[in-house]
Amino acid sequence: MNRKSRTDDIHPAKAEQQMPWLEWLASAIGLLLVLGIFGVIGWQLFSGATTPPVITVEVENVAPVEGGYRVLFRAYNNAGEAAAQVEIEGKVTAAGEDEETSKAILDYVPGHSARQGGLFFTRDPHSGSLAVRAVGFATP
Amino acid sequence: MNEVTVTSERYAIGLARAFGGAIIFGLPLLMTMEMWSLGFSMGRGRLLLLMGFTLAVLVGLSYFSGFEKTFSLKEDAMDAFAAFGVGVITSAVLLVVLAVITFDMSWGDIVGRVALQSVPASIGAMLGRKQLGDEQDMDAEEERKREAGYGGELFLMLAGALFLAFNMAPTEEMILIAFQMTPWHALALGVLSLGLLHVFVYSIGFSGQENRPEGGTFLSTFLHFTLAGYGVALLVSLYVLWSFGRTDGVSVAEIANMLVVLGFPASLGAATARLVV
Repeated sequence: MNRKSRTDDIHPAKAEQQMPWLEWLASAIGLLLVLGIFGVIGWQLFSGATTPPVITVEVENVAPVEGGYRVLFRAYNNAGEAAAQVEIEGKVTAAGEDEETSKAILDYVPGHSARQGGLFFTRDPHSGSLAVRAVGFATP
Repeated sequence: MNEVTVTSERYAIGLARAFGGAIIFGLPLLMTMEMWSLGFSMGRGRLLLLMGFTLAVLVGLSYFSGFEKTFSLKEDAMDAFAAFGVGVITSAVLLVVLAVITFDMSWGDIVGRVALQSVPASIGAMLGRKQLGDEQDMDAEEERKREAGYGGELFLMLAGALFLAFNMAPTEEMILIAFQMTPWHALALGVLSLGLLHVFVYSIGFSGQENRPEGGTFLSTFLHFTLAGYGVALLVSLYVLWSFGRTDGVSVAEIANMLVVLGFPASLGAATARLVV
């Protein structure tokens, strides 16, 4: 193979006339990927990718675990810009008792994307009212 | 007919080396956390510009040393697209395997991560032939570098600086180092960068070393190549830092510190561009 390619190199002009089909294929796939990626990024550019984060949190699951209760939540960023260090705070309040607060921090919530996490409580969230919300974020 | 299959076969080997290059040169950044978050958080306009810049650099690199010998601008462009495709496919597959990309992510998120990661991977694909292949058309390559003159020299420095600077720039450490350095440290690092750039290019005989221009004194060589090279390295550093949003709202003095920090790997990249490219 090596020997053959060396002899081929002596006649570079020949290769110009016959471009291998594989080269066409590889270049065409590359071009398609370029157009696709530029398209998606460009589309984001003009579809509100620069609106600051709006984060809503919904509780997905509450389960008794060893030592208390676990609340799984899903934080969704409705806006285009990514949020960093999103602090999620959950409160359980029951009549006549002190409220219990738990916190979690999500490193990133990208635009139009969701991230999941969990909070632990010692008290049963069903015993009172449970509120989980995003308290704040930093821009990345 | 037989001729065609032979050349396709050779192209396939070049393509395989390109995949090898994309994996090896792209791996450090594929496993860098900041690259994942920058993929979705950096400005879309800046990302788009960076991809365009990368494609232009790929066309130039294809001229000097692509994964196959080229004869025209059309072929250089085709090779640049092919290298870009190899970079994108490699990045996408590896990011999925490393669980950086999961399919419950939004499209913008996924495409952003793959797009940013494809910058080092596609340059790696282009360099793959040179680093992993046999040395069959070294002569043609050397001839091109000689023909290209001063402009070509600066382009190679730019490509080398971009490649090495891009490997460091996403990390938090660049900023941290800039913050903890005093002006004396920054000056020392700047002088060290210039010194190493000059020595690497003209004195210690790496392969592809530049011969001092005929009749050139130390001073004229220094001004012409070393200072120009450091200038290219600093500009590339500024561009990369700006792309990643590291310069937004930062004071000029602090930006200067960051430039010197990132300018160190960038100038080493510029100095050794002839080795790698």
